[in-house]
Amino acid sequence: MDFHAALALGLPLGIGIAAIGSGIGLGLIGQGAMQAIGRQPEATAKIQLAMIIIAALAEALTIYAFVTMFLLNPMIKG
Amino acid sequence: MGLEFLARVRRTTLWLAAIGALVTSTYVAPAFALGLASGALWSLANLFLIEKLVVGLTGPDRGTAPALRRVALGAGGMLPLLGLGALLLARLPIPALMIGFLVPFAVLTLKAASLLLIPTALWRRVTRDPKIAALLVIAAVGLIWAALPARHLGGATGATAAVEHAASAAAAAGGEHDTAAGDEASGPQKFPNFITVLHRAFPGAAWVTFLHHYEVIFFSLLVALILCVLAWAASRDARLIPRPFQNAVEAMVEALHDFIVGILGPRHGPRFVPFLGSLFLYILFMNLFGLIPFMESPTSNLNVTVALAVTVFIYAQFIGLKELGPIGYVDHLLGSPRDVTGWILAPLMLPIHILGELAKPISLSCRLFGNVFGEDMLLVAFVSLGITTLAFTHLPIGIPLQLPFLFLALLTSTLQALVFTVLSTIYFLLMLPHDDHGHEEAAHHAH
Repeated sequence: MDFHAALALGLPLGIGIAAIGSGIGLGLIGQGAMQAIGRQPEATAKIQLAMIIIAALAEALTIYAFVTMFLLNPMIKG
Repeated sequence: MGLEFLARVRRTTLWLAAIGALVTSTYVAPAFALGLASGALWSLANLFLIEKLVVGLTGPDRGTAPALRRVALGAGGMLPLLGLGALLLARLPIPALMIGFLVPFAVLTLKAASLLLIPTALWRRVTRDPKIAALLVIAAVGLIWAALPARHLGGATGATAAVEHAASAAAAAGGEHDTAAGDEASGPQKFPNFITVLHRAFPGAAWVTFLHHYEVIFFSLLVALILCVLAWAASRDARLIPRPFQNAVEAMVEALHDFIVGILGPRHGPRFVPFLGSLFLYILFMNLFGLIPFMESPTSNLNVTVALAVTVFIYAQFIGLKELGPIGYVDHLLGSPRDVTGWILAPLMLPIHILGELAKPISLSCRLFGNVFGEDMLLVAFVSLGITTLAFTHLPIGIPLQLPFLFLALLTSTLQALVFTVLSTIYFLLMLPHDDHGHEEAAHHAH
Protein backbone atom coordinates (compact mmCIF):
# COMPACT_ATOMS: atom_id res chain seq x y z
CA MET A 1 0.00 0.00 0.00
CA ASP A 2 1.58 3.25 -1.01
CA PHE A 3 1.54 6.49 0.90
CA HIS A 4 -1.34 8.16 -0.94
CA ALA A 5 -3.62 5.16 -0.66
CA ALA A 6 -2.84 4.86 3.05
CA LEU A 7 -3.63 8.53 3.56
CA ALA A 8 -6.84 8.33 1.53
CA LEU A 9 -7.96 5.38 3.62
CA GLY A 10 -6.76 6.71 6.95
CA LEU A 11 -8.17 10.23 6.92
CA PRO A 12 -11.89 9.36 6.81
CA LEU A 13 -11.29 6.51 9.22
CA GLY A 14 -9.59 8.91 11.62
CA ILE A 15 -12.57 11.25 11.54
CA GLY A 16 -14.88 8.34 12.13
CA ILE A 17 -12.95 7.13 15.15
CA ALA A 18 -12.80 10.63 16.58
CA ALA A 19 -16.53 11.02 15.98
CA ILE A 20 -17.25 7.76 17.85
CA GLY A 21 -15.32 9.07 20.84
CA SER A 22 -16.94 12.45 20.98
CA GLY A 23 -20.32 10.92 20.25
CA ILE A 24 -20.05 8.78 23.36
CA GLY A 25 -18.84 11.81 25.30
CA LEU A 26 -21.70 13.98 24.06
CA GLY A 27 -24.18 11.27 24.94
CA LEU A 28 -22.87 11.04 28.47
CA ILE A 29 -22.93 14.82 28.84
CA GLY A 30 -26.48 14.99 27.57
CA GLN A 31 -27.57 12.16 29.84
CA GLY A 32 -26.05 13.83 32.87
CA ALA A 33 -27.54 17.20 32.05
CA MET A 34 -31.02 15.79 31.39
CA GLN A 35 -31.01 13.87 34.65
CA ALA A 36 -29.85 16.92 36.53
CA ILE A 37 -32.56 19.07 34.96
CA GLY A 38 -35.13 16.41 35.74
CA ARG A 39 -34.13 16.34 39.38
CA GLN A 40 -33.80 20.08 39.76
CA PRO A 41 -35.81 21.93 37.08
CA GLU A 42 -35.19 25.34 38.68
CA ALA A 43 -31.46 25.08 37.93
CA THR A 44 -32.06 24.55 34.20
CA ALA A 45 -30.24 27.69 33.02
CA LYS A 46 -27.05 26.95 34.92
CA ILE A 47 -27.00 23.31 33.92
CA GLN A 48 -27.62 24.15 30.29
CA LEU A 49 -24.73 26.64 30.26
CA ALA A 50 -22.32 24.11 31.71
CA MET A 51 -23.63 21.45 29.37
CA ILE A 52 -23.07 23.62 26.31
CA ILE A 53 -19.51 24.41 27.37
CA ILE A 54 -18.58 20.81 28.02
CA ALA A 55 -20.36 19.68 24.88
CA ALA A 56 -18.30 22.18 22.91
CA LEU A 57 -15.11 20.82 24.46
CA ALA A 58 -16.07 17.24 23.61
CA GLU A 59 -17.18 18.15 20.13
CA ALA A 60 -13.95 20.03 19.46
CA LEU A 61 -12.03 16.75 19.30
CA THR A 62 -13.91 15.70 16.19
CA ILE A 63 -13.36 19.15 14.77
CA TYR A 64 -9.61 18.74 15.28
CA ALA A 65 -9.72 15.50 13.30
CA PHE A 66 -11.78 17.29 10.68
CA VAL A 67 -9.28 20.16 10.40
CA THR A 68 -6.44 17.65 10.20
CA MET A 69 -8.28 15.96 7.36
CA PHE A 70 -8.46 19.25 5.48
CA LEU A 71 -4.82 20.00 6.16
CA LEU A 72 -3.69 16.61 4.84
CA ASN A 73 -6.27 16.44 2.05
CA PRO A 74 -4.05 17.98 -0.69
CA MET A 75 -1.37 15.36 -0.05
CA ILE A 76 -3.63 12.56 -1.26
CA LYS A 77 -3.46 13.87 -4.81
CA GLY A 78 0.31 13.98 -4.48
CA MET B 1 5.87 80.29 8.14
CA GLY B 2 7.87 80.18 11.30
CA LEU B 3 10.01 77.67 13.09
CA GLU B 4 6.87 75.81 14.14
CA PHE B 5 6.27 75.02 10.48
CA LEU B 6 9.75 73.49 10.25
CA ALA B 7 9.08 71.37 13.33
CA ARG B 8 5.93 70.04 11.68
CA VAL B 9 7.91 69.23 8.55
CA ARG B 10 10.43 67.34 10.67
CA ARG B 11 7.74 65.30 12.39
CA THR B 12 6.01 64.42 9.12
CA THR B 13 9.33 63.46 7.54
CA LEU B 14 10.20 61.17 10.43
CA TRP B 15 6.86 59.36 10.14
CA LEU B 16 7.09 59.13 6.37
CA ALA B 17 10.65 57.81 6.49
CA ALA B 18 9.77 55.23 9.13
CA ILE B 19 6.77 53.96 7.19
CA GLY B 20 8.71 54.00 3.92
CA ALA B 21 11.57 52.08 5.50
CA LEU B 22 9.16 49.48 6.90
CA VAL B 23 7.39 49.04 3.58
CA THR B 24 10.56 48.86 1.51
CA SER B 25 12.25 46.48 3.93
CA THR B 26 9.30 44.13 3.41
CA TYR B 27 8.76 44.52 -0.31
CA VAL B 28 12.12 45.65 -1.79
CA ALA B 29 15.24 44.94 0.25
CA PRO B 30 16.53 45.65 3.76
CA ALA B 31 19.55 47.56 2.37
CA PHE B 32 17.23 49.80 0.39
CA ALA B 33 15.15 50.51 3.49
CA LEU B 34 18.29 51.30 5.49
CA GLY B 35 19.42 53.64 2.74
CA LEU B 36 16.04 55.35 2.66
CA ALA B 37 15.96 55.83 6.42
CA SER B 38 19.55 57.03 6.70
CA GLY B 39 19.12 59.36 3.72
CA ALA B 40 16.08 60.94 5.34
CA LEU B 41 17.84 61.19 8.71
CA TRP B 42 20.91 62.74 7.09
CA SER B 43 18.77 65.25 5.27
CA LEU B 44 16.92 66.11 8.49
CA ALA B 45 20.20 66.61 10.37
CA ASN B 46 21.42 68.79 7.55
CA LEU B 47 18.28 70.91 7.65
CA PHE B 48 18.53 71.14 11.44
CA LEU B 49 22.10 72.45 11.26
CA ILE B 50 21.22 74.93 8.53
CA GLU B 51 18.30 76.13 10.63
CA LYS B 52 20.61 76.66 13.63
CA LEU B 53 23.03 78.54 11.41
CA VAL B 54 20.38 80.79 9.89
CA VAL B 55 18.66 81.49 13.20
CA GLY B 56 22.02 82.27 14.83
CA LEU B 57 23.01 84.66 12.07
CA THR B 58 19.69 86.44 11.47
CA GLY B 59 17.65 85.92 14.66
CA PRO B 60 16.65 88.79 16.95
CA ASP B 61 19.41 87.95 19.44
CA ARG B 62 22.32 87.85 16.98
CA GLY B 63 25.69 88.75 18.42
CA THR B 64 24.92 87.32 21.87
CA ALA B 65 26.61 84.26 23.31
CA PRO B 66 23.79 81.70 22.73
CA ALA B 67 23.42 82.79 19.13
CA LEU B 68 27.17 82.49 18.57
CA ARG B 69 27.07 79.04 20.10
CA ARG B 70 24.29 78.12 17.73
CA VAL B 71 26.30 79.35 14.75
CA ALA B 72 29.33 77.39 15.92
CA LEU B 73 27.22 74.26 16.32
CA GLY B 74 25.73 74.68 12.86
CA ALA B 75 29.05 75.28 11.16
CA GLY B 76 30.99 72.70 13.18
CA GLY B 77 28.35 70.01 12.74
CA MET B 78 28.50 70.30 8.97
CA LEU B 79 31.92 68.71 8.65
CA PRO B 80 31.21 65.39 10.44
CA LEU B 81 27.86 65.27 8.69
CA LEU B 82 29.51 65.56 5.28
CA GLY B 83 31.95 62.81 6.24
CA LEU B 84 29.06 60.61 7.37
CA GLY B 85 27.31 61.31 4.08
CA ALA B 86 30.38 60.19 2.10
CA LEU B 87 30.55 57.00 4.17
CA LEU B 88 26.86 56.32 3.58
CA LEU B 89 27.19 56.92 -0.15
CA ALA B 90 29.96 54.37 -0.31
CA ARG B 91 28.08 51.73 1.67
CA LEU B 92 24.37 51.93 0.82
CA PRO B 93 22.45 51.95 -2.48
CA ILE B 94 22.64 55.47 -3.89
CA PRO B 95 19.07 55.67 -5.32
CA ALA B 96 17.64 54.86 -1.88
CA LEU B 97 19.85 57.50 -0.26
CA MET B 98 18.77 60.06 -2.85
CA ILE B 99 15.09 59.30 -2.32
CA GLY B 100 15.54 59.52 1.45
CA PHE B 101 17.46 62.77 1.05
CA LEU B 102 14.65 64.26 -1.00
CA VAL B 103 11.85 63.24 1.42
CA PRO B 104 12.11 66.34 3.68
CA PHE B 105 12.16 68.63 0.67
CA ALA B 106 9.13 66.93 -0.81
CA VAL B 107 7.32 67.27 2.52
CA LEU B 108 8.36 70.93 2.69
CA THR B 109 7.08 71.63 -0.83
CA LEU B 110 3.80 69.80 -0.30
CA LYS B 111 3.17 71.50 3.03
CA ALA B 112 3.89 74.92 1.50
CA ALA B 113 1.58 74.10 -1.41
CA SER B 114 -1.16 73.06 0.99
CA LEU B 115 -0.69 76.34 2.89
CA LEU B 116 -1.26 78.18 -0.37
CA LEU B 117 -4.21 75.97 -1.32
CA ILE B 118 -6.20 76.08 1.91
CA PRO B 119 -7.32 79.76 1.85
CA THR B 120 -8.56 79.62 -1.77
CA ALA B 121 -12.27 79.85 -2.48
CA LEU B 122 -12.44 76.52 -4.32
CA TRP B 123 -10.95 74.59 -1.39
CA ARG B 124 -13.33 76.25 1.03
CA ARG B 125 -16.29 75.36 -1.14
CA VAL B 126 -15.17 71.70 -1.32
CA THR B 127 -14.50 71.30 2.36
CA ARG B 128 -17.59 73.09 3.59
CA ASP B 129 -19.58 69.83 3.54
CA PRO B 130 -17.77 66.75 4.90
CA LYS B 131 -19.88 64.48 2.70
CA ILE B 132 -18.71 66.18 -0.53
CA ALA B 133 -15.09 66.06 0.65
CA ALA B 134 -15.32 62.37 1.52
CA LEU B 135 -16.95 61.62 -1.84
CA LEU B 136 -14.17 63.49 -3.68
CA VAL B 137 -11.46 61.62 -1.77
CA ILE B 138 -13.12 58.26 -2.47
CA ALA B 139 -13.49 59.16 -6.14
CA ALA B 140 -9.83 60.17 -6.40
CA VAL B 141 -8.60 57.00 -4.68
CA GLY B 142 -10.89 54.85 -6.81
CA LEU B 143 -9.66 56.50 -10.02
CA ILE B 144 -6.02 55.93 -9.11
CA TRP B 145 -6.74 52.36 -8.10
CA ALA B 146 -8.64 51.50 -11.26
CA ALA B 147 -5.97 53.13 -13.42
CA LEU B 148 -3.13 51.12 -11.86
CA PRO B 149 -2.10 48.09 -13.90
CA ALA B 150 -1.95 44.70 -12.17
CA ARG B 151 1.83 44.51 -12.04
CA HIS B 152 2.16 45.54 -8.37
CA LEU B 153 2.12 41.86 -7.44
CA GLY B 154 5.52 41.25 -9.04
CA GLY B 155 6.70 38.74 -11.62
CA ALA B 156 6.53 35.46 -9.74
CA THR B 157 3.07 35.95 -8.25
CA GLY B 158 1.88 37.27 -11.59
CA ALA B 159 2.71 33.93 -13.18
CA THR B 160 0.84 31.98 -10.51
CA ALA B 161 -2.10 34.36 -10.84
CA ALA B 162 -2.18 33.61 -14.57
CA VAL B 163 -2.11 29.88 -13.88
CA GLU B 164 -4.87 30.24 -11.31
CA HIS B 165 -6.92 32.24 -13.77
CA ALA B 166 -6.46 29.59 -16.46
CA ALA B 167 -7.53 26.90 -14.01
CA SER B 168 -10.61 28.81 -12.93
CA ALA B 169 -11.52 29.49 -16.57
CA ALA B 170 -11.24 25.78 -17.30
CA ALA B 171 -13.39 24.97 -14.28
CA ALA B 172 -15.98 27.50 -15.42
CA ALA B 173 -16.03 26.00 -18.90
CA GLY B 174 -16.25 22.43 -17.62
CA GLY B 175 -18.96 22.95 -15.05
CA GLU B 176 -21.07 25.30 -17.09
CA HIS B 177 -24.41 23.97 -15.94
CA ASP B 178 -23.16 24.30 -12.38
CA THR B 179 -22.60 28.03 -12.64
CA ALA B 180 -25.76 28.51 -14.62
CA ALA B 181 -27.78 26.75 -11.94
CA GLY B 182 -28.03 29.99 -10.02
CA ASP B 183 -27.34 28.09 -6.84
CA GLU B 184 -23.74 29.32 -6.66
CA ALA B 185 -21.84 26.03 -6.75
CA SER B 186 -19.19 26.41 -9.41
CA GLY B 187 -16.06 25.28 -7.60
CA PRO B 188 -15.32 22.13 -5.70
CA GLN B 189 -13.91 24.18 -2.84
CA LYS B 190 -16.33 26.84 -1.65
CA PHE B 191 -19.33 28.87 -2.64
CA PRO B 192 -18.21 31.73 -4.82
CA ASN B 193 -18.76 35.11 -3.27
CA PHE B 194 -19.25 38.26 -5.26
CA ILE B 195 -15.52 38.97 -5.18
CA THR B 196 -14.89 35.65 -6.90
CA VAL B 197 -17.45 36.63 -9.51
CA LEU B 198 -15.76 40.00 -10.00
CA HIS B 199 -12.41 38.22 -10.21
CA ARG B 200 -13.71 36.09 -13.05
CA ALA B 201 -15.34 39.06 -14.76
CA PHE B 202 -12.29 41.35 -14.65
CA PRO B 203 -9.26 39.08 -14.66
CA GLY B 204 -6.07 40.93 -13.88
CA ALA B 205 -7.54 44.32 -12.93
CA ALA B 206 -5.58 45.77 -10.03
CA TRP B 207 -8.49 46.50 -7.72
CA VAL B 208 -10.10 43.09 -8.25
CA THR B 209 -6.81 41.29 -7.66
CA PHE B 210 -6.37 43.26 -4.47
CA LEU B 211 -9.89 42.47 -3.28
CA HIS B 212 -9.53 38.81 -4.19
CA HIS B 213 -6.27 38.56 -2.33
CA TYR B 214 -7.66 40.19 0.82
CA GLU B 215 -11.29 39.04 0.56
CA VAL B 216 -11.35 37.63 4.08
CA ILE B 217 -10.22 40.94 5.53
CA PHE B 218 -12.69 42.72 3.29
CA PHE B 219 -15.61 40.62 4.52
CA SER B 220 -14.66 40.87 8.18
CA LEU B 221 -14.37 44.65 7.85
CA LEU B 222 -17.72 44.68 6.08
CA VAL B 223 -19.32 42.82 9.01
CA ALA B 224 -17.72 45.24 11.44
CA LEU B 225 -19.05 48.12 9.38
CA ILE B 226 -22.55 46.67 9.41
CA LEU B 227 -22.40 46.29 13.19
CA CYS B 228 -21.19 49.87 13.52
CA VAL B 229 -24.01 51.17 11.36
CA LEU B 230 -26.57 49.12 13.32
CA ALA B 231 -25.25 50.42 16.64
CA TRP B 232 -25.24 53.96 15.34
CA ALA B 233 -28.76 53.68 13.96
CA ALA B 234 -30.05 52.19 17.20
CA SER B 235 -28.54 54.83 19.45
CA ARG B 236 -28.89 57.86 17.15
CA ASP B 237 -31.86 59.35 18.90
CA ALA B 238 -32.33 57.27 21.99
CA ARG B 239 -35.74 57.77 23.55
CA LEU B 240 -37.16 56.90 26.90
CA ILE B 241 -39.96 55.04 25.16
CA PRO B 242 -37.97 53.16 22.54
CA ARG B 243 -39.04 52.43 19.00
CA PRO B 244 -39.02 48.75 18.00
CA PHE B 245 -35.47 48.73 16.65
CA GLN B 246 -33.94 50.43 19.67
CA ASN B 247 -35.98 48.12 21.84
CA ALA B 248 -34.58 45.02 20.15
CA VAL B 249 -30.99 46.20 20.42
CA GLU B 250 -31.47 47.17 24.05
CA ALA B 251 -32.93 43.77 24.86
CA MET B 252 -29.93 42.09 23.20
CA VAL B 253 -27.39 44.22 25.06
CA GLU B 254 -29.21 43.64 28.31
CA ALA B 255 -29.29 39.89 27.80
CA LEU B 256 -25.55 39.86 27.06
CA HIS B 257 -24.88 42.00 30.10
CA ASP B 258 -26.87 39.72 32.41
CA PHE B 259 -25.23 36.64 30.94
CA ILE B 260 -21.64 37.86 31.33
CA VAL B 261 -22.20 39.41 34.75
CA GLY B 262 -23.81 36.14 35.78
CA ILE B 263 -20.54 34.33 35.07
CA LEU B 264 -17.98 36.91 36.15
CA GLY B 265 -19.87 38.24 39.15
CA PRO B 266 -21.14 41.78 39.79
CA ARG B 267 -17.72 43.08 40.85
CA HIS B 268 -15.70 42.31 37.72
CA GLY B 269 -18.44 41.58 35.22
CA PRO B 270 -19.54 45.00 33.95
CA ARG B 271 -16.00 45.92 32.89
CA PHE B 272 -15.81 43.08 30.39
CA VAL B 273 -19.31 43.37 28.95
CA PRO B 274 -18.28 45.69 26.06
CA PHE B 275 -15.42 43.44 24.94
CA LEU B 276 -17.15 40.08 25.33
CA GLY B 277 -20.50 41.33 24.10
CA SER B 278 -19.07 42.77 20.91
CA LEU B 279 -17.01 39.60 20.50
CA PHE B 280 -20.22 37.58 20.57
CA LEU B 281 -22.09 39.84 18.17
CA TYR B 282 -19.11 40.06 15.81
CA ILE B 283 -18.61 36.31 15.64
CA LEU B 284 -22.35 35.68 15.34
CA PHE B 285 -22.66 38.08 12.43
CA MET B 286 -19.53 36.71 10.77
CA ASN B 287 -20.84 33.15 11.06
CA LEU B 288 -24.24 34.06 9.70
CA PHE B 289 -22.80 36.23 6.93
CA GLY B 290 -21.82 33.16 4.93
CA LEU B 291 -25.48 32.12 4.62
CA ILE B 292 -26.26 35.22 2.56
CA PRO B 293 -25.79 34.40 -1.14
CA PHE B 294 -22.61 35.87 -2.65
CA MET B 295 -21.14 36.56 0.78
CA GLU B 296 -18.60 34.60 2.75
CA SER B 297 -18.10 33.83 6.43
CA PRO B 298 -14.78 35.38 7.43
CA THR B 299 -14.67 32.82 10.25
CA SER B 300 -14.39 29.98 7.73
CA ASN B 301 -10.78 31.11 7.37
CA LEU B 302 -8.29 30.13 10.04
CA ASN B 303 -6.58 33.54 9.93
CA VAL B 304 -9.63 35.36 11.28
CA THR B 305 -10.34 32.90 14.10
CA VAL B 306 -6.70 32.84 15.14
CA ALA B 307 -6.72 36.63 15.24
CA LEU B 308 -9.80 36.60 17.49
CA ALA B 309 -8.36 33.90 19.76
CA VAL B 310 -5.00 35.67 20.05
CA THR B 311 -6.82 38.86 21.01
CA VAL B 312 -8.61 36.99 23.78
CA PHE B 313 -5.36 35.30 24.87
CA ILE B 314 -3.42 38.58 25.11
CA TYR B 315 -6.29 40.28 26.91
CA ALA B 316 -6.52 37.42 29.41
CA GLN B 317 -2.79 37.58 30.14
CA PHE B 318 -3.03 41.36 30.46
CA ILE B 319 -5.88 41.01 32.95
CA GLY B 320 -3.88 38.46 34.90
CA LEU B 321 -0.83 40.70 35.07
CA LYS B 322 -2.89 43.74 35.99
CA GLU B 323 -5.23 42.21 38.54
CA LEU B 324 -2.88 39.76 40.22
CA GLY B 325 0.33 41.75 39.83
CA PRO B 326 3.54 40.20 38.48
CA ILE B 327 4.11 38.12 41.61
CA GLY B 328 0.51 37.02 41.82
CA TYR B 329 0.62 36.09 38.14
CA VAL B 330 3.64 33.83 38.63
CA ASP B 331 1.95 32.43 41.73
CA HIS B 332 -1.11 31.66 39.63
CA LEU B 333 1.07 29.87 37.06
CA LEU B 334 2.69 27.85 39.86
CA GLY B 335 -0.75 26.68 40.95
CA SER B 336 -0.96 28.97 44.02
CA PRO B 337 1.21 26.87 46.36
CA ARG B 338 0.27 27.48 49.99
CA ASP B 339 1.62 24.39 51.76
CA VAL B 340 4.47 21.91 51.40
CA THR B 341 2.66 19.71 48.91
CA GLY B 342 1.89 22.74 46.81
CA TRP B 343 5.54 23.78 46.73
CA ILE B 344 6.70 20.29 45.84
CA LEU B 345 4.22 20.15 42.99
CA ALA B 346 4.98 23.71 41.81
CA PRO B 347 7.74 22.75 39.29
CA LEU B 348 5.26 20.30 37.79
CA MET B 349 2.40 22.77 37.74
CA LEU B 350 4.34 25.49 35.94
CA PRO B 351 4.74 23.72 32.56
CA ILE B 352 1.20 22.37 32.82
CA HIS B 353 -0.22 25.84 33.38
CA ILE B 354 1.89 27.41 30.63
CA LEU B 355 0.91 24.70 28.16
CA GLY B 356 -2.70 25.09 29.24
CA GLU B 357 -2.58 28.82 28.60
CA LEU B 358 -1.07 28.28 25.15
CA ALA B 359 -3.57 25.55 24.28
CA LYS B 360 -6.53 27.86 24.93
CA PRO B 361 -6.15 30.08 21.84
CA ILE B 362 -5.40 27.05 19.65
CA SER B 363 -8.51 25.19 20.75
CA LEU B 364 -10.67 28.34 20.56
CA SER B 365 -9.60 29.17 17.01
CA CYS B 366 -9.65 25.60 15.68
CA ARG B 367 -13.10 24.96 17.12
CA LEU B 368 -14.66 28.01 15.54
CA PHE B 369 -12.86 27.54 12.23
CA GLY B 370 -13.64 23.84 12.03
CA ASN B 371 -17.33 24.30 12.75
CA VAL B 372 -17.95 27.14 10.31
CA PHE B 373 -15.73 25.68 7.59
CA GLY B 374 -17.23 22.23 8.02
CA GLU B 375 -20.73 23.68 7.77
CA ASP B 376 -19.74 25.41 4.52
CA MET B 377 -18.30 22.19 3.13
CA LEU B 378 -21.44 20.29 4.06
CA LEU B 379 -23.63 22.82 2.26
CA VAL B 380 -21.38 22.74 -0.81
CA ALA B 381 -21.48 18.94 -0.89
CA PHE B 382 -25.27 18.81 -0.73
CA VAL B 383 -25.76 21.62 -3.25
CA SER B 384 -23.55 19.86 -5.77
CA LEU B 385 -25.32 16.58 -5.04
CA GLY B 386 -28.65 18.27 -5.76
CA ILE B 387 -27.33 19.69 -9.00
CA THR B 388 -25.72 16.50 -10.27
CA THR B 389 -28.95 14.61 -9.58
CA LEU B 390 -30.72 16.70 -12.21
CA ALA B 391 -27.70 17.09 -14.51
CA PHE B 392 -29.20 14.70 -17.09
CA THR B 393 -31.94 17.23 -17.86
CA HIS B 394 -29.36 19.84 -19.00
CA LEU B 395 -31.49 22.46 -17.32
CA PRO B 396 -30.14 25.09 -14.92
CA ILE B 397 -31.99 23.61 -11.94
CA GLY B 398 -31.21 21.40 -8.98
CA ILE B 399 -32.93 19.79 -6.02
CA PRO B 400 -32.45 22.04 -2.97
CA LEU B 401 -31.06 19.23 -0.84
CA GLN B 402 -29.16 21.70 1.35
CA LEU B 403 -32.30 23.23 2.91
CA PRO B 404 -32.34 21.17 6.17
CA PHE B 405 -28.65 21.85 6.62
CA LEU B 406 -29.24 25.59 6.36
CA PHE B 407 -31.23 25.36 9.58
CA LEU B 408 -28.44 23.31 11.12
CA ALA B 409 -26.04 26.06 10.00
CA LEU B 410 -28.17 28.66 11.78
CA LEU B 411 -27.99 26.58 14.95
CA THR B 412 -24.23 25.91 14.86
CA SER B 413 -23.42 29.51 13.95
CA THR B 414 -25.21 30.81 17.02
CA LEU B 415 -23.93 28.01 19.24
CA GLN B 416 -20.29 28.49 18.23
CA ALA B 417 -20.47 32.24 18.77
CA LEU B 418 -21.91 31.52 22.21
CA VAL B 419 -19.28 28.89 22.98
CA PHE B 420 -16.43 31.17 21.94
CA THR B 421 -17.77 33.95 24.15
CA VAL B 422 -18.46 31.70 27.13
CA LEU B 423 -15.01 30.12 26.99
CA SER B 424 -13.36 33.55 26.68
CA THR B 425 -15.38 34.69 29.68
CA ILE B 426 -14.22 31.69 31.66
CA TYR B 427 -10.59 32.27 30.69
CA PHE B 428 -10.99 35.80 32.03
CA LEU B 429 -12.64 34.45 35.17
CA LEU B 430 -9.71 32.12 35.80
CA MET B 431 -7.34 35.08 35.57
CA LEU B 432 -9.31 37.32 37.91
CA PRO B 433 -8.52 37.21 41.63
CA HIS B 434 -10.92 34.54 42.85
CA ASP B 435 -11.90 35.61 46.31
CA ASP B 436 -15.50 34.62 45.79
CA HIS B 437 -17.23 31.38 44.82
CA GLY B 438 -17.39 30.01 41.30
CA HIS B 439 -13.71 29.44 40.71
CA GLU B 440 -13.80 25.75 41.43
CA GLU B 441 -16.66 24.94 39.12
CA ALA B 442 -15.24 27.23 36.44
CA ALA B 443 -11.94 25.40 36.63
CA HIS B 444 -13.87 22.21 36.08
CA HIS B 445 -15.51 23.67 32.98
CA ALA B 446 -12.33 24.83 31.32
CA HIS B 447 -10.17 21.75 31.73
